Amino acid sequence: MLSPKPVVDTNVFIGGGTTPVHMVEAFAVASGKGGTGKTTSTLALGMALSEEYDVTVVDADMGMANLLFHADLEAVETTLHDVLVDGGAPVEAAVYERHGLSVVPCGTSLADFAAADPTRLRDVVATLAADTDVILLDSAATLSSRAAVLPVVLADRVVVVLEPTIPSLSDGLKVQEYATSYDTGTAGILFNKVRDDDAIARIAPKAERYFEGPTLATVPESHEVRAARRAGRPLLAHAPASEAAAAYREAVRTLDVRDGDSGTVADRFRSAVVPESP
Amino acid sequence: MKLPRGRLVRSRVVTDPRTLLVDALDRGVTGYAVLEPQESLLLDGEGRGVVTFETGVPVVAYHTGTERGGPPALADLAAEGPYQLELFELDAADLAEVHARESFRVPPGMAAERLVGDPALAERTREATPAGVAAGAAGVGGGVAGADGESANAPRPPSEPDPSPGGQGDAEADERQVGAVEAFLDDEEKVAAIREEARAEAEARAEQWGFE
Repeated sequence: MLSPKPVVDTNVFIGGGTTPVHMVEAFAVASGKGGTGKTTSTLALGMALSEEYDVTVVDADMGMANLLFHADLEAVETTLHDVLVDGGAPVEAAVYERHGLSVVPCGTSLADFAAADPTRLRDVVATLAADTDVILLDSAATLSSRAAVLPVVLADRVVVVLEPTIPSLSDGLKVQEYATSYDTGTAGILFNKVRDDDAIARIAPKAERYFEGPTLATVPESHEVRAARRAGRPLLAHAPASEAAAAYREAVRTLDVRDGDSGTVADRFRSAVVPESP
Repeated sequence: MKLPRGRLVRSRVVTDPRTLLVDALDRGVTGYAVLEPQESLLLDGEGRGVVTFETGVPVVAYHTGTERGGPPALADLAAEGPYQLELFELDAADLAEVHARESFRVPPGMAAERLVGDPALAERTREATPAGVAAGAAGVGGGVAGADGESANAPRPPSEPDPSPGGQGDAEADERQVGAVEAFLDDEEKVAAIREEARAEAEARAEQWGFE
């Protein structure tokens, strides 16, 4: 199978060492099913990473966007949908600075989703890669369409968000297999909505045997997370001192962000073999 | 069933109503969701499901196509999907009249079990049930809920508030679930089979979707 991410080192062509090298890695935050707390986790990881890196969070769940409800962006005019239409807005118009992050929200209109061409996401990510250290793609909670799988195809590695239940673990394993098929690695797994510390201490090591990355953290189920959702604010902004927020910071300490040359990454995204919609 | 329109908080297509139920529960939404199966959108047919929530817990279900309420309405909805979803927030007072219709009420965990087949979510929903909703649910709980299996998974009658959070019934249910998860992860052959199937599916779709 041809790799969707052929590695082309542009530095070879532009003189290598003389060009300032900017580092970037793109992660897809994914889970096979809905309701695992993927969007909460994406923003929490992003905010924790932003203490060290320049982070851009993209709502790549194009058919069922909800990042805007988590990040106080409900009223914004331009979203990813507007960028993905033919002759649409430039990416920069859909980037908003919130909570120390650059956030690219996606709209929720079905008509806008129908008009958008998800394959343009590749160019969006390539453009963003030029100006950030870490890109987090909040991915769809399904593997049933090309648009849903695209973030996993484009990312360097996936962070798999799991609940400690059989359906969630089973779906998480499927996500990893999809990722592996597209040469996307696994950065780690993140157990969310954990209610029993003793149980997760037994379950996590057993699960790790099947995942290519470590357990980044186990995030307890908590009223602070629900309160943050109700307030429409990211957890780390709403309850920075909570146990759940601490778990996300711990996850980021375990997550080894790898240096990739932004030119290489941008080029790789642009050259990903993704055909236009029929 | 007449409901004020309320404040629209979500409008989108969902393939998996689990997202709706989890979202409503996590945010403690009081209001109602209208679920219109895409099939009926395309065929211009009738039939929308309405599920009301009180602090995130489903209270009443009704299907406009079959004009059935309560557990049968969930059955009517469960057969269809994806859905166009609209979620509205309302004051609890605006829901009082509808919530008084005993025959429309559903046991708290039933939507999670029937619409998304998720016993853990059902359990979590039961735990979050406000006392007022639990008392009302007991009205249908005796006959209807018992007959369709809700009570089999409920560690205690919903009308009896648990004296302590994480009481003995919950602990036992959790223990059973943890045991099942561990057994699943110990079954290397089963896990390998899931992974192989997913890999084959991913590769077949890569070709179909042009990711090759």
